[in-house]
Amino acid sequence: MIQNVLRNFTGIDTFGIVSLCLFVSVFTGAIIWTMLQKKSHLDAMARVPLDPVPDPAPLSHLQPTLPLNPGEHHE
Amino acid sequence: MSATALPQDNAGLRAHRTGPIETFKYDNHVVRAFAIATALWGLIGTSAGLLAACQLFWPQLNLDTPFTTFGRIRPLHTNAVIFAFVGNGMFCGIYYSLQRLCKARMFSDLLSWINFWGWQAIIVGAAITLPLGLTTSKEYAELEWPIDIAIAVIWVAFTINLLGTIARRREKHMYVAIWFYIATAITVAILHIFNSLEVPASAFKSYSIYAGVQDALVQWWYGHNAVAFFLTTPYLGMMYYFLPKAANRPVFSYRLSIIHFWGLIFIYIWAGPHHLLYTALPDWAQSLGMVFSIMLVAPSWGGMLNGLLTLRGAWDKVRQEPMLKFMVVAVTAYGMATLEGPMLAIKSVNALSHYTDWTIAHVHTGALGWNGFLTFSLLYWLVPRLYNTKLWSVKLANYHFWIGLLGMMFYVVPLYTSGVTQGLMWKQFTSDGFLQYPNFLETVIRLIPMHQLRAVGGTLYITGIVLMIINLHRTMKAGRFIGDEEDQAPALNPAASRESMKLGHRWLEGVPVTFTVLTTVAVVIGGLIEIVPMFLIKENVPTIASVKPYTPLECLGRDVYIREGCVGCHSQMVRPFRSETERYGEYSKAGEFVYDHPFLWGSKRTGPDLHRVGGKYPDAWHFNHMENPRNTSPGSIMPSYPWLLSQRLDTTVVGVRLRALRRVGVPYTDDDILNAPQSIDAQSKKIVTALAGQSITNAPPDREIIAIIAYLQRLGTDIKSMPTNAPAAAVAASLNHNQPQP
Repeated sequence: MIQNVLRNFTGIDTFGIVSLCLFVSVFTGAIIWTMLQKKSHLDAMARVPLDPVPDPAPLSHLQPTLPLNPGEHHE
Repeated sequence: MSATALPQDNAGLRAHRTGPIETFKYDNHVVRAFAIATALWGLIGTSAGLLAACQLFWPQLNLDTPFTTFGRIRPLHTNAVIFAFVGNGMFCGIYYSLQRLCKARMFSDLLSWINFWGWQAIIVGAAITLPLGLTTSKEYAELEWPIDIAIAVIWVAFTINLLGTIARRREKHMYVAIWFYIATAITVAILHIFNSLEVPASAFKSYSIYAGVQDALVQWWYGHNAVAFFLTTPYLGMMYYFLPKAANRPVFSYRLSIIHFWGLIFIYIWAGPHHLLYTALPDWAQSLGMVFSIMLVAPSWGGMLNGLLTLRGAWDKVRQEPMLKFMVVAVTAYGMATLEGPMLAIKSVNALSHYTDWTIAHVHTGALGWNGFLTFSLLYWLVPRLYNTKLWSVKLANYHFWIGLLGMMFYVVPLYTSGVTQGLMWKQFTSDGFLQYPNFLETVIRLIPMHQLRAVGGTLYITGIVLMIINLHRTMKAGRFIGDEEDQAPALNPAASRESMKLGHRWLEGVPVTFTVLTTVAVVIGGLIEIVPMFLIKENVPTIASVKPYTPLECLGRDVYIREGCVGCHSQMVRPFRSETERYGEYSKAGEFVYDHPFLWGSKRTGPDLHRVGGKYPDAWHFNHMENPRNTSPGSIMPSYPWLLSQRLDTTVVGVRLRALRRVGVPYTDDDILNAPQSIDAQSKKIVTALAGQSITNAPPDREIIAIIAYLQRLGTDIKSMPTNAPAAAVAASLNHNQPQP
């Protein structure tokens, strides 16, 4: 039945408007959703990639930052 | 296990980190393997590109062999750069960052290595089959069906490994980079499977199940979103991880990253039809593609600004650190490309830019700048850390940066000039209303200096890659590889981890399954709304009574056309512009392509459009042109195809191919298939007789040249055979969607 409805769908030009409304709704929803987030959580999440202790020498031409742990597998 | 001070963050996150401290090891082995593969395939892929670029002003570099012609080298270049260089770079970045963001080793070492070796095998398969002419001809999806299946299997292995690692994570909430990785895994799988649906005719020959307009829509839904979800989303994830790491400061706005993610994945999938503006694609689909492409600026620039503003207060580091220099240029190039893309998707701009070098310049701003420089940035950051040493030469890395940047400029600026020149020359009329440059070759010759400059840019860029490989190799030699890197993290506390379902984004970040489902829904909506009506609504592809399936000889000729990659330089889509109808003839209608499996509309006109070439020249012209294009068109840059005159046409495959085409919907009858050999003989003799009458007396009837002449002479001729009183109704129906422009 759905196939029949679609086969004879005459208002295909309205797809643009429908899609635009869909987009605006989703985008607005996402912005509102985001605004409701607690700042403390966002700040904490933003720090996830960072090391707990600030990298003392982050530049590649300085000494490496990875510690050599005893018993670590080396090649 | 020992008590360890926890990072100072908010109480919510701390609550999940109260489990016992666990010690575990990250797998760096597979990361190193992908890093090495990235660098090597980068060199190979760009070198293939340089060869293709040089062939465009120095046709002798085609070497007059089938395997080295532009039509086969170009897809080799694009596949090598996209899937080998960027693909390995993507896996390298994901395998490194995912483990650290999840505080867990990869789910399965076995799956990691299946992913690595399987991917390399696929690339080698592509490197062998594409020069052999085994291709589907669909851009960025040229690989034939056995390799398509292999890609699906390896991609599933990667996805299981990704999701398995996320399931074993010790961080409750998934960081933004992981969202982009999930979107990549899911969407690429969907795109690849649906665009690769084809019926095999032999071990390395298949026909797309879609035809004409529908095939075009599915292909560019795939093609555009391959850019989105293979070249963009994984790299955005990597940007969100490696940029804060290198700058040693958190991302500028985590709130913005949430909007960036959902906005981007929801909108991107709709934008595919902007590759088909002014074609026979129905107007409603073109409009959707255009509007959503313009909207795409918002999330894309949100992401770019988020990246660049992360460096606020840290620009002094950019001066000292080559890795950050590469990253800044990469993110800037992302911003430029994602502003330019929507501009090119505006119909009036697209009318000038499409089919020209402008598109190539646009693509390379993204490929060389965004993907290339971000990959170099990643490698310069990773390799010293994997080897617990410092970079061998910062000076050499800086040379790489400047040479690469100069190379990029020398690449794109001439091509932008070339594209605009090309577009304007095609459209220029004299004051008397005639085409100013009626001979297509005039534009080709005008562009040669720009193509030469582009090759200089490519050479510089490759020189930079060589410097990087030397630098990284020396770095590896100087350090000691840490294969299994130890780390500690508290286990997730199951009780504290059970967060109440508040339907906030924070909750969603902690439930990967729900997150994956929502991501899938977001990316599927656009595809469904665009593609389903195209298949079901009859008025989208009005049939034209006089359009018939190809004869067996034409069908084999079409396969030769596909094998030689002619679609890389010749479109088969006359757009409804006066400048095009004057040059080529009647503009193309959707109903003319209903038997085209696959469609061959093309995306670039290095040579002229061929949709109305049927009957335009005598058979002898095609014969001489294929033998050596300079015989008929002095100054032409088209490769010679002497082997078409000597290679025997394999007619034994015709039955199986017609049957495969029948399976995808072409109405060949049993009699058509049974009598195919006789039909081929009869049509070949007719062409040979015509050739003899045009002073080519030595043409043997059983060579490939005869089949390709048959195909070319058929192109676009079906509507010419419509009864004179019929076109008004039949053609008008098919013209509803694309009215001619003044």
